[in-house]
Amino acid sequence: MLESRKNIFCYLMVAPALILVILLGILPMIQSLRMAFVEYNLLTLRTKGTPFVGLDNFEYLFSDSVFIQTLVQTIMFVVIVVGFVIVLGVLAAQVLNRQFVGRTFLRTTFLLPWFIPPVIAAGIWRWLLNTNLSPINSVLSDIGLINGNIGFLTDTTSIGYFSLPMLVVSLVRTWNGLPFVTVMVLAGLQSIPSDIYEAADIDGASSWQKFTRLTLPLLRPVLVVIATLLSISGIGYFEVNYVMTGGGPRDLTNILGVYAYDQAFSFYRFDYAAAASSVILILTSFIAFFYIRYLLKED
Amino acid sequence: MSRVATMSRPDSRLTDTVTFRKRITRIVTIAMVVLLSVFVMIYVLLPIYWMVKSSFQTNFEIRASPPLWFPSSISFQTYADATTVIPIVRYMLNSLFVAGTTAILATMISAMAAYVLARFRFPFARLILVIILFTQLIPHITRVFPIYFFIQDLGLLNTYVGLIFAYTGFSIPYAVLMLQSYFRSSCPPELEEAGMIDGCGYFGAFRRIVLPVSMPGIAAIGTFTFLGAWNDFLWASLLLNRGEMKTLQVGLRDFMGEGGTIANANVFMAACVLATIPAVILFIFLQRHMVSGISAGAIKG
Repeated sequence: MLESRKNIFCYLMVAPALILVILLGILPMIQSLRMAFVEYNLLTLRTKGTPFVGLDNFEYLFSDSVFIQTLVQTIMFVVIVVGFVIVLGVLAAQVLNRQFVGRTFLRTTFLLPWFIPPVIAAGIWRWLLNTNLSPINSVLSDIGLINGNIGFLTDTTSIGYFSLPMLVVSLVRTWNGLPFVTVMVLAGLQSIPSDIYEAADIDGASSWQKFTRLTLPLLRPVLVVIATLLSISGIGYFEVNYVMTGGGPRDLTNILGVYAYDQAFSFYRFDYAAAASSVILILTSFIAFFYIRYLLKED
Repeated sequence: MSRVATMSRPDSRLTDTVTFRKRITRIVTIAMVVLLSVFVMIYVLLPIYWMVKSSFQTNFEIRASPPLWFPSSISFQTYADATTVIPIVRYMLNSLFVAGTTAILATMISAMAAYVLARFRFPFARLILVIILFTQLIPHITRVFPIYFFIQDLGLLNTYVGLIFAYTGFSIPYAVLMLQSYFRSSCPPELEEAGMIDGCGYFGAFRRIVLPVSMPGIAAIGTFTFLGAWNDFLWASLLLNRGEMKTLQVGLRDFMGEGGTIANANVFMAACVLATIPAVILFIFLQRHMVSGISAGAIKG
């Protein structure tokens, strides 16, 4: 009796949240998958409707050289961002975790980019990296490192699919995401008991040894979580690339999220868009599956 | 302590060369750390400085080559222009309304769910949590297209209600996960047990005891929800992109897209500064909660 009253209470409390999550989360994902198997062209929707076409949309995608390029670049984007963010985040956390005058001030300013909306971040950086007006170009040519300006967002020379604009866009995403990672690493550092460092001091360990033998291994769980979360969000990332370059020049900064968005809202091919976003869904679900299993084991 | 001292005594008998080499490595390490930190600080702060600086310059000054690093005078004319050239005040009010309503709705709905998920064992509780976690993890772009048609079918395209509805749905997974780890870690169950003995039902205990006690945490997570909606571009650009009703992010991006930054880069930078200020104020207010809250929510899920 008491048990069932408790259960009813629990379900009533969970229901609104769960209904919204299913309605705006799970169902649309399934619908997206379904849309990937029909023809859904907004221009012919009236006359033809949405006939089932099997794997045609995926066949189209994988025969489209831009899609293949986009897929490779998405992985490149994720690897660059995760790499930079973790290296810089660990470094910054090391510094910000020390005691020094002005630490609070430094921490606050360092975390600022977190609260700059991605669209604005992209806008500022686009302005800062404007080929002819960039202060970076002016400083580099003043100290004689370059002749002529670097086209940070326009240079189309590429090695494979890797290009300068891709690196730049990744660095802007890193800039926006770095504070979050630094805070996570800081929390991780603070959970390491200080007596193990004292023990290492007694054993005569250098600070480099302490860093590589103690700090890094103890931070590993946090870093794995960060890398996983950023890989998942990176595969479906959209904002900075869309606003800064729109995927250009010559699709060199195009990633899956931007590709899907363009297919839908520039070319009205919602079927290709759904197929592209299904690729994102499959890739991210795969990682999410292992992540959730890891969390459940931890519990 | 005295035992530690005796144990470490052999160290003091190290030869001079070893201490010297040790000191060199120490200095090199410090120098590298300082150098790298300076580099990172430039990377982090230069864009922010450049935005603020540009917002105070005239259109002529910001197009100077080589670029001018400092404004010649501090004038707020560009800020005044920002309110007329871009209807920035209107956009900010739109964003404030949409994000504020979202934060209140989502936090209320999420607090209810998070509380029972944190406190009670009931059939399917774990499955529900996994569904929520999964939804939170998967990027939004994977459900953009069906939701666009869904909102369209409801006749809510280009309405505040449609966008708020969508945002509330998206904010819930995040808020539930954060709040349930908050209820687990910093809201003692003894309180409401006492309340139940005193005759409150389950819901009474939640409303009269748990909610008031957890207000600081709920407010913090509500603020994060607010910021999530405030910062969003993807959904707002699709669901609400008509003239005056645009949110800040869409308004700014459209101004950029229509080439406004070519003639009025300084005005645009001023608008960016204005658009950043509310978030920064909230951020300073939130900073205390950040380290513990974020990491708890993200790691424990």
